[in-house]
Amino acid sequence: MGALPEFAFARPATLAEACALLAVEGARAVAGGTDLVPNLRRGIERPAQLVDLGGIAALDRIEERDGALALGAGVTLARLADDARIARVLPALAEAARSVAGPAHRSAATLGGNLCQDTRCVFYNQSEWWRRANGWCLKRDGDTCHVAPQGRRCHAAYSGDLAPVLLAAGAEAETATAAGTRRVPLADLYREDGAAHLTLAPGEIVARVFVPAPTPGRRSGYRKARARGAVDFPLAGVAVVLVVRDGAIAELGVGLTGTNSRPFRLAGTEGFVGQPVDDALLASLAKLIQKQVSPMRSTVTQSYYRRQVASVLAQRLVRELAAG
Amino acid sequence: MRHEDVSLRRAPAPPTHSIGSRTPLVDGIEKVTGRARYTADLPLGPTLVGRIGRSPVAHGVIRRIDATRALALPGVRAVITGEDFAAPYGVIPISQNEWPLARGKVRYRGEPLFAVAAEDEAAAEAALAAVAVDIEPLPALFTAAEARAPGAPLLHENKPGNIEREVEQDFGDVAAGFAAADLVLERRYECAEVAHGQIELNATVAHWEPERERLTVHSVTQVPYYLHLTLAQTLGLDSSQIRVVKPFVGGGFGHRVEPLNFEMVAAALARAASGAVKLELTREEGFLTHRGRPATETRLKIGMKRSGEITAVDAEVVQRGGAYGGYGLVTILYAGALLHALYKVGAVRYRGYRVYTNLPPCGAMRGHGAVNVRFAFESLLDEMAAELGLDPFVVRRANLIEPPYRTLNDLQVNSCGLAQCLDAVEQASGWRERRGKLGRGRGLGMACSHYVSGSAKPVHWSGEPHAVVNLKLDFDTGITVLTGASDIGQGSSTLLAQVVAEVLLLPMARIRVVATDSALTPKDNGSYSSRVSFMVGNAALRAAQGLKRVLVEAAAKRMEVEPDDIDWQGESCCVAGTDRRMDFAQVVQAALADTGTLTVKGTWSTPPETQGGKFRGAAVGSTAGFSYAAQVVEVSVDEDTGMVRVERVWVAHDCGRALNPLAVEGQVQGAVWMGMGQALSEETRYHAGLPLAANFLDYRIPTIAESPPIEVTLVESMDPLGPFGAKEASEGGLHAFPPALAAAVCDAIGLRVRELPLSPDRLLEAIQARRREEKLRALRAGRPGADVPEAERR
Repeated sequence: MGALPEFAFARPATLAEACALLAVEGARAVAGGTDLVPNLRRGIERPAQLVDLGGIAALDRIEERDGALALGAGVTLARLADDARIARVLPALAEAARSVAGPAHRSAATLGGNLCQDTRCVFYNQSEWWRRANGWCLKRDGDTCHVAPQGRRCHAAYSGDLAPVLLAAGAEAETATAAGTRRVPLADLYREDGAAHLTLAPGEIVARVFVPAPTPGRRSGYRKARARGAVDFPLAGVAVVLVVRDGAIAELGVGLTGTNSRPFRLAGTEGFVGQPVDDALLASLAKLIQKQVSPMRSTVTQSYYRRQVASVLAQRLVRELAAG
Repeated sequence: MRHEDVSLRRAPAPPTHSIGSRTPLVDGIEKVTGRARYTADLPLGPTLVGRIGRSPVAHGVIRRIDATRALALPGVRAVITGEDFAAPYGVIPISQNEWPLARGKVRYRGEPLFAVAAEDEAAAEAALAAVAVDIEPLPALFTAAEARAPGAPLLHENKPGNIEREVEQDFGDVAAGFAAADLVLERRYECAEVAHGQIELNATVAHWEPERERLTVHSVTQVPYYLHLTLAQTLGLDSSQIRVVKPFVGGGFGHRVEPLNFEMVAAALARAASGAVKLELTREEGFLTHRGRPATETRLKIGMKRSGEITAVDAEVVQRGGAYGGYGLVTILYAGALLHALYKVGAVRYRGYRVYTNLPPCGAMRGHGAVNVRFAFESLLDEMAAELGLDPFVVRRANLIEPPYRTLNDLQVNSCGLAQCLDAVEQASGWRERRGKLGRGRGLGMACSHYVSGSAKPVHWSGEPHAVVNLKLDFDTGITVLTGASDIGQGSSTLLAQVVAEVLLLPMARIRVVATDSALTPKDNGSYSSRVSFMVGNAALRAAQGLKRVLVEAAAKRMEVEPDDIDWQGESCCVAGTDRRMDFAQVVQAALADTGTLTVKGTWSTPPETQGGKFRGAAVGSTAGFSYAAQVVEVSVDEDTGMVRVERVWVAHDCGRALNPLAVEGQVQGAVWMGMGQALSEETRYHAGLPLAANFLDYRIPTIAESPPIEVTLVESMDPLGPFGAKEASEGGLHAFPPALAAAVCDAIGLRVRELPLSPDRLLEAIQARRREEKLRALRAGRPGADVPEAERR
């Protein structure tokens, strides 16, 4: 990769200062930098000002009250992976954090950064020379999506591992701007457009994530399809939260990543409440997933594989969690 | 002081043996502490920043390159194009069709087109953007089939059909061989293109002294001597004007066994800018420079008797070579030579085609030329063994070479430990008890391989010895090994120190290695085709023997006896049967008294009988010693996700003699592991000639998470020509992995995959295709769920 472009750099100590700095056009937030720095070095982004959120102590907290979690956006993935409270309340989140990239990345990468990770595509995550030679692309500087040249939108895939878990668990996000904070369902943070997958306003950042207290007996897990046992982004990632009572499903939440331009909570799982976890249910679950995922040719691995393996992982995970 | 006095003072140190002992690498401390300086780290003073402008077009005529605007920018010191070079280059003297910067035409996307030198990175970037390039596009050819199609545009005017080299080799009566066979099977195999993935990024620092018209180049090369020759040729300099230094190198695997364009570009930039230029390439540029293993299609037919004996082989191999010659013709010759020379076979017909395409040039990669044909050959043996109801080990044993042996294609085999390798892995893996009995989803597979210990004929034939080592011994009583052999992490410097220490029975602490500086060290052909241990090891052995003779004679003279009376014990020597003794320092003093600083040279050349036959291309594959290897791979296969997990590998490698078992085990494991990468997940890909996976996220080299335990058995066949009996150990273990893996997958789920890599998407597709076929077949037969014989499945 090339050298970093020139930019101004600020490291505010408070959220308010950070928001004030980010309100200026051309400013860009950075925390661990594991997602942003490669993009900078590939000339994909050229911010005039980087605002480092790493100095804001308020963003670095994990709080738990009666099973409800409040997670600062600045908490590193390594901490999420190791935290005893998370392991107890939402083990899938720790699993997902542990599955991200490699240990060095996890020691720097943060919750907020992972949730706001840029979408990825083989036609986009390339050098400037490459993208220019290829006629640029819809996501940056061009007007054609090379994944689906006839289409109107960008099909870059969202590939964060944490979002599906938090979506399955019904989390909310607190976002901040210079004007103040707002609290929204996490799902509202995303839209199905690879070139603009975050609904955040310019200068708006994720400050905290709230996970509601679990129903007693809730189990959770995360499974990730990838070619290698480490480093890789998910070809498809599936998170499940499940409560089984008296042999029947009392609660089922499924979150998916890697297959679409946004992470999403599988719609229609309420219909499974009251049913036992058996082959018929798992077949229905697979059908539901097949209807809602839409992997495209945005990775070097074929899209049909990502589609199929999403169902396989979900079925296995639900079966495993149901079996306890 | 008289020598008798010394012996009374302390007991003499015992002789030290270095060969066969597990010896940490002599440069290991620098590497693990981070003190080692690689090319990009060298503190060579201020340097200009070099950058390469690359072609966005896959195939086209260069109409204009205008640097006027770039040269007018502040801080820009030079802009060069192909016109700034005196001659084209290519590692093979008869196929030199590449310019360091394209001239006339561009032939692949990413081909170097022009280069800039500037005072800093920003100025270099600005200069790159300011050069105006006008290229008239031509139709581009991205597959071997497109390039071979009638009427396809030619990449090189002198190569009709875009065939760089067509190889036709026939040995024995193939038709009769097939007629005599009990089973004849023909299959097609495909291997995706793979790249080396060496960790260190490419870098060259070139320094031009305008007053003296001298050039000094530090570079990442495996072949400093070839680089030296190529710099002289392409820059139009006399060799004496050039000095080439190879610092620490972070891996090569063949990427750097030919002089590469950026090395000459850096030198030309330095000359144009009258200064020093550092040219550091990105990972993407490494994939554009490429020189990896070509995408290969193999059609293979084998005839076999019920005993497993191979009666005839008929193979056609097509390699998608990329845009330039490079090592290409050697690759296609190696594929033919090593296809069958592993076994005793009845007759062979080989047709090989090396095809030009508008993609980055392929070249030599670990296991050069022989890996993809080995995949085909071993896979077909496995399939035929199943058809004939034979154990795969039995089939291999039915075709074993017994040395001394002359293969069908006139290759000399002086030692062969394949039988012992087979025994070792069969036993270690529990093959007889476990194979076929591990349950659905788990399986064992095996395969064999071999490789050369250096090419018996060097690329640049000059009549000189194949290897030269100088030893210097001076007043400090330390021995300096001066060698041109390139240690690229494989441990050659350690090995040479061990050889010298062993001959002289001295501790390793007395030996220093100074390597790869053309101003100091003797010429060496380089680190390729696993030649260094065998050839340079032999030269070091002879140099050390020469030095020992000088020292023994000096000791004899000083103690007034005949040399034969001297009992040499390393740190001291004595007159045999007496207590008259001199220590090493005294012997050195005595020797220096006669001549001053001692320099002793050792040389080695391959004997003529090992240099191959007389037919065209016969030299490729010829070697003074073949290594042999067998391995068993155990896998588990997830049929719902297509994921293959390598549980364990047992490998036995006949390295002749393990000079340094620690290093040999590491090299064998590395070779197996690299074979695993090619078999499981590695694959370059292109989008209209642009590399899609030009980074280590998308080019999937295995991580430690999927690295299995690799249990190594070293077989020592004591080669009669090798130094202390040693042969190659760094490459031969690679070739057998992919076919052993495919065989293991077949054992696990009954499915034969004939394409590499067995990535999860490819395997799942094959599994589902089989399910569909089975369903269809069962429907047609009216027998739902009926079992289908394994051989009919694909």
